[in-house]
Amino acid sequence: MTKKYKKTEFLVNANDRVDNAVRELIGRARSNRGTSRMILILLVAFVFFTLLKPAIFLSPLNIENIMVASPEIGIIALAMMLAMLTGGIDLSIVAIANLSAITITTLYSSLMVSNPDRAVQMMPFIVLLGLVVGIIGGLFNGFLISYVGITPILATLGSMQIFNGLAIVWTGGKTLYGAPEDLTKLGKADLLGMPTLFIALIVISGLVALFLNKTSLGRKTQLLGVNPVAARYSGISSRQVLISTYLLTGLLGGFAGILFLARNPTSSADYGSSYVLLVIVIAVLGGTNPNGGFATVSGVILSTLTLQVVSSGFTAIRLSAYEYAIAQGAILIIVMILDQPRAKKFNLAFLKFGWPKEKVKNSL
Amino acid sequence: MTNSFNPKLLETLRKLRGSNNEGTLALVLLALVATISIVNPVFFSLTTMFSIMRGSLVPLIFALGVLIVIISGGIDVSFAAIAIFSAYTTVKIAQDGNFDPGLIGITIIAAFFGAMLGFLNGAAIAWFRLPTLIVTLGTQTLFRGILLAYVGSKYIANPPISLDEVAKTNIVSIVNEQERGAFLHVLVVPVAILAILVAWLLKKTMFGIAIYAIGGDSESARRVGFPVIRVQVLVYMLVGVLAAIAGVFHVTLGRNANPQDLVGNELDVIAAVVLGGASVFGGRGSVLGTVLGVLLIQVINNSLILAGVPTAWQRAAVGVLLIVGVGIQALSEKKKSKRSSVAASLGE
Repeated sequence: MTKKYKKTEFLVNANDRVDNAVRELIGRARSNRGTSRMILILLVAFVFFTLLKPAIFLSPLNIENIMVASPEIGIIALAMMLAMLTGGIDLSIVAIANLSAITITTLYSSLMVSNPDRAVQMMPFIVLLGLVVGIIGGLFNGFLISYVGITPILATLGSMQIFNGLAIVWTGGKTLYGAPEDLTKLGKADLLGMPTLFIALIVISGLVALFLNKTSLGRKTQLLGVNPVAARYSGISSRQVLISTYLLTGLLGGFAGILFLARNPTSSADYGSSYVLLVIVIAVLGGTNPNGGFATVSGVILSTLTLQVVSSGFTAIRLSAYEYAIAQGAILIIVMILDQPRAKKFNLAFLKFGWPKEKVKNSL
Repeated sequence: MTNSFNPKLLETLRKLRGSNNEGTLALVLLALVATISIVNPVFFSLTTMFSIMRGSLVPLIFALGVLIVIISGGIDVSFAAIAIFSAYTTVKIAQDGNFDPGLIGITIIAAFFGAMLGFLNGAAIAWFRLPTLIVTLGTQTLFRGILLAYVGSKYIANPPISLDEVAKTNIVSIVNEQERGAFLHVLVVPVAILAILVAWLLKKTMFGIAIYAIGGDSESARRVGFPVIRVQVLVYMLVGVLAAIAGVFHVTLGRNANPQDLVGNELDVIAAVVLGGASVFGGRGSVLGTVLGVLLIQVINNSLILAGVPTAWQRAAVGVLLIVGVGIQALSEKKKSKRSSVAASLGE
């Protein structure tokens, strides 16, 4: 008797949790604090550096630089956001991106040696192969996390090491030259007065936003992050959602690799090694809850731009790369501490961890 | 299948395997050593053994710190930054002030810096309940940035003479005419003492029991009456102190202080601890397993080349090892939970 009662009680609880979670999501979308906060911070950062060094900071070259440098970081940050949305993390995205760039470069330059015309002809397919590399890397992560059951941190820490190790083996630790020229040309071109790279970022972020908000898989991803238990009781297969999430982060990583090449015609195993921390900073600053459940594409894109503005502002006022690193670390920790009371108020996202359980019980 | 075995034999086997698979790990290590020795007999010598031990000194101290954090249910990737920050700053102070407090004095000053930086980690993690990986990723960049921007970014080629003296001291020196000679460095002694101290701390003291309890389930630990926040802050301070000692030993062994050193090799240490049987979910892990894990990684990093594997494969090899080790852990955990749920439903 008691057992049955317990079971129904649990189901009712789960039902309530799903209900709350959905309400939470709707409320979140309506107020969208992440986005408005980010617009404010971006404006403040922009005005601050403009006032300090107007001649350097407002020069077209600097603005162009910000727009050209942000896309690759923005796309990796979006991938990190997706992983964090499910309560995980993906440390291997940059390694995947490098592997994709290296694949494209080696295939293209070896084809270039034997048959230049054919190489130019096959260029789009070779570039697509970069995406395939991303998908394979992502599937590997997804398999480790959802089927084997390794925690995302360790799975992607290990796979980062493997992908990076393969890249070192493949390149012999050297920098490779010989990226497809058409791709580099495309990267330098402008479209509608904006760099094509920046347009690529806008298109990709639009697609990710569409995926998250309009597809059922995207919705499931968000729900799984808010409350994995409730998600399971509402018939969401966490395995399927996790696999597709990490597949998507891998795919975005592969795409970032293409952008690496479009911006800079060389590839190497250790390109962008500082990006791993940077994109975590960006994702958290953009309102992503590292424990899962909440994230907005607009927040992440705005915070990518903010970090880029801060970076070029630091250069404009002649601060070193080390000082920019200090700023990154400090921003990350300060933002997380400031976000804390808010996260406590909406303590749903923390349900799967021990701490607020007590609070929920008290309120029952 | 296992039923056909003699139960007594099974019992001894289980004991040999150890509570955290230490036995299995020792077997893997032995198999690896045997394979490399067969492929390349040069490997099997006292020289190699002593040089692997020397190479393991710094990683082992790091690993002891990481072990404590992982048992408490967290993870720390800032230890290398803390190590080089504390060691470099201390050496620089000694150099600028033109005084030489000796190895022990330098270690104490560095340990003080390490404790302070560890306290920052612990405070952010315990007071604000922030995710440990992300906080320590942030502080790693922060500490290293402060070191390079404000303390110094120049290589110091001549650390205090007392450190140099220690660097040249061996407790065992065997010099053969044909061979390269085998030297066992004196720092093996303090590292061994540290390992025993950490083992004692974890197994025999209330503080150690609290660390295991918090790692197992922090909420239960709190309800039983363990001061969770205080223990967590102390754990990160202890990691800071251990890291600082490792940093000083690194400077001593290398006979120079380079602020760009150490950071970037954190993963090898974490892999060693996890391979040594510590569970990333917290609550499990042992010093013995960690020592074996560190030795295994060292053998792979330094001696795989003797077996004809190019050095370029090292990184991938450590990655594969990490995934296989953690994967086996995860799969057996899954099986266990399945079995226990079946048993529970049968029992009711």
